[in-house]
Amino acid sequence: MKLLLINKAKCWVTAPVLLIGCLLSLNGNLLAQDSTVAEAPRAPAKVKPVKNTFQSVWLGDNQTVMVPVKGSMEMDIMHRFGTWNNGYQDFWGLFAPSNIRIGLSYVPVKKLNVGFGFTKTTAAVIPQATISSVSGPLWDGNLKYSIITQTKGKYPVSVSYYVNASFNTKKDPNHDIYRYNSDRWSFFHQILIARKVTNKLSLQVAPSLSHHNVVNGYYTKENDSTLKINPSMEFEHFAVAISARYKLTTVTSLMLNYDQPITRHATNNPNPSLSFGIEFNTSSHSFQLFFTNFFYLNPAINNMYNTNNPFGYTDHSTNDPATPEDESTKVKGGRFLIGFNITRLWNY
Amino acid sequence: MKKKVISTGIFVIPALFIFGLTSGFKFSDQKPWPVPDKYKTMKNTVASDAESIAAGKTLWTTHCKSCHGTKGLGDGPKAAQLKTEPGDFSKAETQSQTDGALFYKISEGRDDMPSFKKKIPDQDEIWSIVNYVRTLKK
Repeated sequence: MKLLLINKAKCWVTAPVLLIGCLLSLNGNLLAQDSTVAEAPRAPAKVKPVKNTFQSVWLGDNQTVMVPVKGSMEMDIMHRFGTWNNGYQDFWGLFAPSNIRIGLSYVPVKKLNVGFGFTKTTAAVIPQATISSVSGPLWDGNLKYSIITQTKGKYPVSVSYYVNASFNTKKDPNHDIYRYNSDRWSFFHQILIARKVTNKLSLQVAPSLSHHNVVNGYYTKENDSTLKINPSMEFEHFAVAISARYKLTTVTSLMLNYDQPITRHATNNPNPSLSFGIEFNTSSHSFQLFFTNFFYLNPAINNMYNTNNPFGYTDHSTNDPATPEDESTKVKGGRFLIGFNITRLWNY
Repeated sequence: MKKKVISTGIFVIPALFIFGLTSGFKFSDQKPWPVPDKYKTMKNTVASDAESIAAGKTLWTTHCKSCHGTKGLGDGPKAAQLKTEPGDFSKAETQSQTDGALFYKISEGRDDMPSFKKKIPDQDEIWSIVNYVRTLKK
């Protein structure tokens, strides 16, 4: 058996672009107004789309159904710290090396949010080895389109589509990590379905599809001595995220996320992630402080390569979360890390 | 006698120094804020019912409270950083203005007061804030 890389560079960029184009070409009358992009029908009795299903485009690690009002520019500053298992000496992960993402997004036309960002640490498939954390910068471009907005008597839920394409720009002159430039790409598609159940409680379900251009593989000998290539992981990974927001006051909320992997891979199956925390909002800011299992700050990487677990984890013999299973020990209880998101909004 | 002069100086000089520092941070007087006639007579299109006042209170808490304070007294945590007096909304100076005038000032803003017409594009929501400001009257 010989390990090898399987490259499957598809034209995954065109699909989201075409989908967004189709959505934009739809007659606007067929679409409900965005929760935060309400027009100004003057008759007070008119039923309007619900507002503020969520108060930020982020809820911990997940996107929300929200698209800010047209002309809004948002800056995201996101951190994920080390895991809490080293206790006080590491101040429960706060003193550990952190992962950082800085992002910027803008709403050029109603219902459409366009953004990009860069992330410090990501994960990659190392040829003839296994998955490992690598430094970036990982650049990502993303789009979110609000398809419908919950409206009494019209739409029971709000629905948005989110797509993210990522490219790792790490220097690799000898191609030790990325044999081909196409191996640097990963893609993420997600349908966000949310309902503001009461003024305080909002729920969201978000199925997603992650695609990676490269996975490890191995040869096996067939009966006739021919070699067959087997992927050790699938190129596509399905997952579903369930999120909840409960408002304690007008500006303070509790938040909860659970991300469940669906696709089963031959090896290196990712773990689910649970996150819970608190959100504070002001006129132009959102502050989110929470515990989570996701470290990578990129949805495709998180969903495919998460090694932390909310219910029990593998104690690796090294600090590298990608240590092979046979060098590790299963430990009961979850392994979480502290995360925070800060967003700043400007209106133009 | 010399002791008395020194002890007086110990209190007076720091007092003058502190006064000199703090007097520089006083609010400048609020200059007149003219409102176009169109807005002075503009009709409030949102009935001042419980639903509108609740919506207005939510918006107030998010967007206004940090400067204008919980009860509109101009004593929010950010008020001290402002160059312009944020005003006391419980008094006649604010309450005697028409709904349209308040709508104009919230929408357009001036100096430290930001414009909210882009952040709150639904005019009904701005009327709801006006309705809530009316409840701050003492």
